Amino acid sequence: MIEFRDVTLSYNENPVLDGMSFSIQFHEKIAILGSSGKGKTTILKLILGLEQPDSGKILINRTDIANLSESKLRDIRMNFSVVFQEGALFDSLSVRDNVSFCLLEREKLPEDIVESTVKNLLDRVGIKDAADLMPEELSGGMQRRVAIARSLAGCKPKMMLYDEPTSGLDPITADTICDLINELSSGNPSERTGLIIVTHDVADAVKVADRFLYLRNGKIRFDGDLGALTSTQDAELKRFIKDIL
Amino acid sequence: MTLRRLISELQNFYILSLNALLGIFRRSLNWRDVIDQMDYAGVGSFFIVFLVSLFIGMALSLQISAELAPLGLKMYTAKIVGIAIIREIGPVAIALSYAGRVGSGMASEIGSMVLSHQVDMLRVYGTDPIIKLVTPRVLSSTIMLPLLTLMGDAISLTGGYYIAVAMSHQSGVFYWSQIGDELNFQNVVSGLTKPFIFGYLITCISCAVGLSAHGGAQGLRRATTTAVVLSTIMIIVVDFFLTQVLFFILGMQA
Repeated sequence: MIEFRDVTLSYNENPVLDGMSFSIQFHEKIAILGSSGKGKTTILKLILGLEQPDSGKILINRTDIANLSESKLRDIRMNFSVVFQEGALFDSLSVRDNVSFCLLEREKLPEDIVESTVKNLLDRVGIKDAADLMPEELSGGMQRRVAIARSLAGCKPKMMLYDEPTSGLDPITADTICDLINELSSGNPSERTGLIIVTHDVADAVKVADRFLYLRNGKIRFDGDLGALTSTQDAELKRFIKDIL
Repeated sequence: MTLRRLISELQNFYILSLNALLGIFRRSLNWRDVIDQMDYAGVGSFFIVFLVSLFIGMALSLQISAELAPLGLKMYTAKIVGIAIIREIGPVAIALSYAGRVGSGMASEIGSMVLSHQVDMLRVYGTDPIIKLVTPRVLSSTIMLPLLTLMGDAISLTGGYYIAVAMSHQSGVFYWSQIGDELNFQNVVSGLTKPFIFGYLITCISCAVGLSAHGGAQGLRRATTTAVVLSTIMIIVVDFFLTQVLFFILGMQA
């Protein structure tokens, strides 16, 4: 379980998170909504221990991850796989090397197993012929698929974290990415790989999530399912979700 | 910048510099990365070093022989060119060129990796960004900058020889015999100790600045500029203190 307790964080004395509290089970499918620059990505970074809060507690499986050593954080991070905005592919490595990175660096698997795993993963995300291409040769949609394949390599995450996975993509490609996200988190609700997607695109969030958190002024202003979201009386939230009303 | 932030950034710099050095002894160091960096930093810099060194050597020889000629002391051109190039101008000029080409490249490459979350991905995969990104660059710089300096010195001295012989009408044999006299233990040690330190400094500064990049394209521009400016200042300041230390260690007197 992920739990934020009264978390605050500021950048250059500008508050980004201001006493934020919520809790999420690993099998849940969550969308964190909010306008750009409101701290959505920061929440993912805090969950992964890539940033530290100014105050408050972040508990992952009841362990407070603030001030943990990198080696202990590594164990915490094993629970998650992340797809950052625009893929965050290593641009000096080919698609094959990107996907195999974790298998070789962390898992230290033999080359033949790595090769077949990479092949399977690329096949699973529908780009098996792109193995030898470099990231700059890929379209935006292909980059996201490689990023998803890479995030699945070498570990069995309890939860997938997606940072704006469909931003900048055309509607058809965005739909394909949403289908892929759904496929990876399908199955029995108590056993499946959960997901957190942070996005400002409500239409895409609705396709993949069943619980929605709305972020404004550093706090969670809404927490509920689709029914509660569409019947909200909050004027600003109503304006934010007008695409799905 | 507040005092607290300055102290915090200095502390981060010292930790990075130390960990980058200790990373050489870690098993997770990828030697292919080191070779790639040596190729980029060393082989890729050769042409710039060639041009810079050649023209510095020729200009220095021209200036000195022009000054010495009215005094009838033209024959000492090689001696002065030799000392200046081997001890001082060679290491400093090549380090400055290296900071401009390689240091700025390191800062912008690592800065871009930070801004596009590639460094975050490394940490998520349990890879230490310092071992993966900084240590190979430190190793490549501390190996390649001394080699570049060695080559640059030879090219400068050859440029000086061309001017001394072709324009100042001096004896080529006498020029090289004077240069040979200056290739003594003290001068060579003095000239080749500096590039190790400069290479280490340029890399640590550039990588530290790159790793702390933030704020999009403007942040990247700031990081690259800061890396080159800080490296340039540090090369010149450290050169002075290093010269004093080497004078003391090698028993030379001002």
